[in-house]
Amino acid sequence: MMANRITFCFTVVLAAIYLYATEQFPALHLSDPLGPQAFPRLLGIGLVLTAIALLIETLRTRKSAGAAEEGRASGEARYYAIVVGATIWTGLYFAAFEWLGYAISTSIYLLALMAYFRRGKWISNGLTSMVYSFGSYVIFTKLLLVSLPAGLLPL
Amino acid sequence: METLNHILNGFTVALQPINLWYTLVGCFLGTVVGVLPGIGPAAGIALLVPITYGMPPASALIMLAGIYYGAKYGGSTTSILIRTPGETSSVMTCIDGYAMALKGRAGAALAVSAIGSFIAGTIGVLGLTLFAVPLAEMAIEFGPAEYFTLMLFAMTAVASLTGKSLPKGLLSMFLGLMLATVGIDLQSAYPRYTMGVLEFQEGLSFVVVAVGLFAVAEVLQGLEMLVRGTAPEVIRISGRLWLTREEWRRSIGPIWRGGIIGFVIGVLPGAGGTIASILSYTTEKGLSKHPEQFGEGAIEGVAGPEAANNSDTAGALVPLLTLGLPGGAVTAVLLGAFILYGIQPGPQLFKEHPDVVWGLIDSMYVGNIMLLILNLPLIGLFVRLLYIPRAMLYPLIVAISAIGIYSVNGSVVDLYLLLFFGIAGYLCNKADIPITPLVLGLVLGDLLEQSFRQSLTLSDGSLSIFVSSRITMTLVTLTVISFFWPLISSRIKALRGLRAAESGD
Repeated sequence: MMANRITFCFTVVLAAIYLYATEQFPALHLSDPLGPQAFPRLLGIGLVLTAIALLIETLRTRKSAGAAEEGRASGEARYYAIVVGATIWTGLYFAAFEWLGYAISTSIYLLALMAYFRRGKWISNGLTSMVYSFGSYVIFTKLLLVSLPAGLLPL
Repeated sequence: METLNHILNGFTVALQPINLWYTLVGCFLGTVVGVLPGIGPAAGIALLVPITYGMPPASALIMLAGIYYGAKYGGSTTSILIRTPGETSSVMTCIDGYAMALKGRAGAALAVSAIGSFIAGTIGVLGLTLFAVPLAEMAIEFGPAEYFTLMLFAMTAVASLTGKSLPKGLLSMFLGLMLATVGIDLQSAYPRYTMGVLEFQEGLSFVVVAVGLFAVAEVLQGLEMLVRGTAPEVIRISGRLWLTREEWRRSIGPIWRGGIIGFVIGVLPGAGGTIASILSYTTEKGLSKHPEQFGEGAIEGVAGPEAANNSDTAGALVPLLTLGLPGGAVTAVLLGAFILYGIQPGPQLFKEHPDVVWGLIDSMYVGNIMLLILNLPLIGLFVRLLYIPRAMLYPLIVAISAIGIYSVNGSVVDLYLLLFFGIAGYLCNKADIPITPLVLGLVLGDLLEQSFRQSLTLSDGSLSIFVSSRITMTLVTLTVISFFWPLISSRIKALRGLRAAESGD
């Protein structure tokens, strides 16, 4: 129920921003009579109509969705916090990707996640992250000739 | 006669040692992708596209298609052994396949799914061989208005048939189409929605979006399941990896019927392998003299759906190759790959690149034989993949995705986009918003807009061009029907329920 409300609000805000941005395009009718904003304008209108349909659906299902969902939601915060943490860690991995280089950043990223989700298995976690990171670096850059950042390592 | 020559030439392409190797690699990777959680065929294909840039297009497409149909074979293994479909279309196999495994007949369940997949896969490729050329010849007359209405029909069908809610399917479709408008407009050269970011000028890469939505989102979902402690237990393979005479007798009919159902459903946009396998399961249950055995380990409940979800892949390639029209997520990613290699699928494909298209189709006959071998004597090898700890597997999938995405342009911006779309996919999953219409909208968006603008240029801005011919009128009618289909089908179900209640009284 809450997800439906958020989806509706997101659709309305997105449609408003998209239509506003579309109206900022200059009217260019050089090679076709429609210009670059005609098709996006139709999409924006389509999104507004979709928002209305979402609102109707949300109102219809409001009665059937009971209080059970509200109760269930209270114990979920811990799981979502872990997903948010993993997402932020992935963002940091990508931010360090060029600076540290593929092999170092990947081994740190893998080791930290495995250490959290596979506690106590230090040897297999350490070996897997090191062997994968440096092994895949050599395979991709030397054998498959895929360009990956070397970063701090003089590879 | 000319077509027969092309088919035979296709075999000379498919049987070249290098292409046999790529078929084997594709089938092997497909089976791995099907077995492993967290990475499906759409993400698997999208990830491999950058690595195939230097390859001849025929070899690259043969390998990518191998992943597509190979994943269907692998998907059944997890359904049978851990009651989790490795690939969404194997969902029906969970019911009776898992029940058979619990009764010590896992070997027979795996054997019937491999044999059924082989027979039905070959039926599907045969159908593709027979129907592709006539359809392509019919489509050669299509103008921009016909193409616009055809794409509109495909997208509406996908939006209304995937997921649980029509408005959410439409939202997903519009999001995909809106993402397709990012970048320099082809006709006016005006940069749209680029927000000053240089990397956005060429538009968003479908590879980044597809891997983010399918692989990274699945990893986030998997990590959540991991901390919830809902990871399934693997059942050991028991019993001989073959069928008894009685099991074979009970399976052959469902395999043939499933093969035909799967091919027909595969051709239709939006329906896909999941609907094909559900339809096959209900058909077999309806035809069975012992419907009460379904759900308790009936071999027909494995043979039919597995056959259907395999021949569906060949069916789905019919509109992709002949009309340039993908009907689902994987074919949308394949279309993106074709375009990246400079080949536009559609009616001209069979005239301009007969070696590529027939090489690809004929490689599927060979690929199905390879998959039968991979999935019977070597099944034990793939089952070992199920024992890889998921806490190890999920971070590795992100690292593999990072290599694939970074290698496209050598840009960290693509990695940030990958994470952004991963989060978006995870949230869509939570909100029950289907992903397939979004990917379809992104891949078809440019073509849809161009055909829309070309049509209106031809008609001096009159919308009547979209109902000016029999083809466009038929397609507009089909679009309207598919749009209202969820409403129509729920009314039909309600009426049936009412009648059943009345007859019960």
